[in-house]
Amino acid sequence: MWAYLVRRLLLALVAISGVLVIVFFLSHIIPGDPIAAILGPQAPDYVIEDLRHRWGLDRPIPEQFVRFVGRLVRGDLGTSIATKRPVISDLRQFFPATIELATTAIILGALAGLAVGIISAVAHGSWLDHTVRFLSLIGLSMPVFWLGFILLLVFYYRLGVLPGPGQLDIFIARPPSVTGMILLDSLLARDFVALRNALGHLVLPALVLGSHALVGIARITRASMLEVLGQDYIKVARAKGLAERTVILRHALKNALLPIITVIGIYYGGLLEGAVLTETVFAWPGLGRYATSAILSQDFAAIMGVTILIALIFSLANLVVDLAYGFLNPKIRYE
Amino acid sequence: MRGRHYLALLLLVVLALLPATAGGAPGRVPQNVLVIGRIIGDVVSLDPAEAFELTSTWIDEHLYETLVEFSRDFTRAVPGLATSWTVSADGKAYTFTLRSGVKFHSGNAVDAKAVEFSLRRAMRLKLQPAFILTGFIKNPEDVVAISANQVRITFNQVMPEILMTCVLSNPVASAVDPALVQKNATASDPLANKWVAENDAGSGPYVLRRWTRNAVIELVAFDDYWGGRPRMGRIFVQDIPEPTAQLLALQRGDVDMVTDLLPAQFVQAAKEAGLVVKTSPQFALRYLAMNVGYEPFSRVQVRNAVKWAIDYTAFRRIFEDQIDIGQTIVPARMFGHLPDRPYSKNLDRARALMREAGFERGFKAELLTVPDPPLPDIAAKIKEDLAQIGIEVEVKVLRSADILAAYRARTHQMVIARWGADYPDPDNLATALADFDARVLAYRNQWDHPIKRTVQQAVQELDRAKRDAMYRQIQKVVLDEGPYVIIGYPLRLLAMRANVKGLDPSPLSVTYGMWGVVKE
Repeated sequence: MWAYLVRRLLLALVAISGVLVIVFFLSHIIPGDPIAAILGPQAPDYVIEDLRHRWGLDRPIPEQFVRFVGRLVRGDLGTSIATKRPVISDLRQFFPATIELATTAIILGALAGLAVGIISAVAHGSWLDHTVRFLSLIGLSMPVFWLGFILLLVFYYRLGVLPGPGQLDIFIARPPSVTGMILLDSLLARDFVALRNALGHLVLPALVLGSHALVGIARITRASMLEVLGQDYIKVARAKGLAERTVILRHALKNALLPIITVIGIYYGGLLEGAVLTETVFAWPGLGRYATSAILSQDFAAIMGVTILIALIFSLANLVVDLAYGFLNPKIRYE
Repeated sequence: MRGRHYLALLLLVVLALLPATAGGAPGRVPQNVLVIGRIIGDVVSLDPAEAFELTSTWIDEHLYETLVEFSRDFTRAVPGLATSWTVSADGKAYTFTLRSGVKFHSGNAVDAKAVEFSLRRAMRLKLQPAFILTGFIKNPEDVVAISANQVRITFNQVMPEILMTCVLSNPVASAVDPALVQKNATASDPLANKWVAENDAGSGPYVLRRWTRNAVIELVAFDDYWGGRPRMGRIFVQDIPEPTAQLLALQRGDVDMVTDLLPAQFVQAAKEAGLVVKTSPQFALRYLAMNVGYEPFSRVQVRNAVKWAIDYTAFRRIFEDQIDIGQTIVPARMFGHLPDRPYSKNLDRARALMREAGFERGFKAELLTVPDPPLPDIAAKIKEDLAQIGIEVEVKVLRSADILAAYRARTHQMVIARWGADYPDPDNLATALADFDARVLAYRNQWDHPIKRTVQQAVQELDRAKRDAMYRQIQKVVLDEGPYVIIGYPLRLLAMRANVKGLDPSPLSVTYGMWGVVKE
């Protein structure tokens, strides 16, 4: 088990290094001028040239790469040209908001997706199954930003039962930052006013973000459950006179979980990258907006910082999923 | 049964959550609080020596003060931290007498030493906006406190009062509390730029209470402000990056004002009861530039053929009436503006000019634009118009970073761009658009014309009437021969709830202080 873990971590390191090299050179090769983009059209040329020199952007690309790797080895992700802060500080500020949103979204999406998928599989071929599949198709094809606006329009503007954009009402003081996640920080500070308000702000963006995961998870759950429900051991379980609920949840679902867990892991990794459209519509100060703004302004240090973080997330998500296989199916051995 | 319990529990949680999260009745912002919905992701630093983005300089105007300000008509300086000033016989050195009893938010006095320290600090930090000072003041030591309440600033050229005001009313010339800077200085950051970037060291009408990046900026009224405590006790600037979400928040009354709606949304807001849209002019240009380095555009006849081929009336429609139409480089309402509008769509004339230039068969040209609405529509209209005289335009919609890189490298052929006046003087536009040696827009479009000598002389001309005539002459030459088609002067629009009064935006790109705002 430990040998497997070490091997996987080493492989992850190789994969992340490969991603870094590719992203570094791609982001430097494409045309564009980060300093000009940040300073706008009106800054004089000598100011641009001075700043380009100060940021080391006038050096040859291979030299910039060596410097980047040198800093990285020392644990320094560099300084963002756009925010003028260490990238690590930016990530520390924006990533917790995304963790909070993505985790809530994946919990909602996974619970609902499992339920819908199981119902659809059990009622296979019925009107319920067809309806669920039809709705799934609609859900999958619905643009995220459009769904976001519709939910804002109905629940915020028309009904007034949920709050509007932002992570917290502006009149409510943010609890002292310990984890950077408002829900956890307000719990730690026992600030239940902030907690309730933050929960309310989380509902709509989490629903929007979770909806796509829901559809994907429901589809894979249905397919996997249908395959398992046709197995002999399910017939045996039923022949033994077990209650149908027990057959479905204990015997079928447990055996159908492997591909479902894989899909949940992939979706969670994707959500942690930050969902730029959802974050923009709901004014959520997360990683997606930071990454997009970094890409648009060619903020190299920020692009590389986000790349490292995303590569780490995906490697870890895959590792956790693979480890989960062993817990779900004792036959699986890690060698 | 157990399942039902879980369901009941879930319902209870949801019900408990709802009252806490409900948006509440429209217009729920308290009377002495102003909430502004705006994109604040551009705020990088609030240090006036570094702030260079629209939102950060706008916020700094509330936190900091400068020696002088502009009169409402931008024709003269009015007192700020200085109550009076005198100028030396050679027109280069100004001596300012400071207002007595002015305090920083910390309680420290704003005196001559503080002003000297602040200007020298901005020049020594050499951050983005420092060029506004260093372009006119050679050394930090040229700013000297000559007594407890008098500062002398020696400029590197003859400075008409209007130009002095342009430089010294800019936020980069703000007074910063020296005691706070020294207290927060470190060995690697001796001028405390990092601390001032995120904190408040000013003396303005508002105090910074908090700034959470990409979330909210909160200002509170400064009780000891020498001009009297502002009527709005608190101002929140809430980050709402999406225009539709801004509009919904305004309609619901969760914000009092929004700044970034799409053109069609401003039209919609203007029609709604309870909302108003305030339109005001800006000292800014939206223009089409032709690179004279691209062979066809090196001929003045081709540049003028483009000017005669374009349907200018369409611009106003495409901009939903949110632009003032004009054809000269100095915007309307600015000193020296020439109101001439000689060009209108005249295809016969345009084709004749193309023939005269030897391009009767036309040519191909690339037109760059950013994707911000309605610029792609403007580009499409220009493409349609120029096709009628044989110019086959390929429109490329690119990121601002790509366009600016091409523009600065002078590799573009045509580009749609914007220029907002850094200071309210025609020199800013004339230098940028007509002085090749200044290495700004005339340089980027490779248009080197002898009129640049007039531009260089006009800035130092002390006689107002002569200056006015010089700028009119410059505009006439640019109109007749220059590489620009002026699309118009974009208007500033702010959508707000009808009970918000007292807002009087200035035509400068960022100046609309909230200290005069009241809610009825």
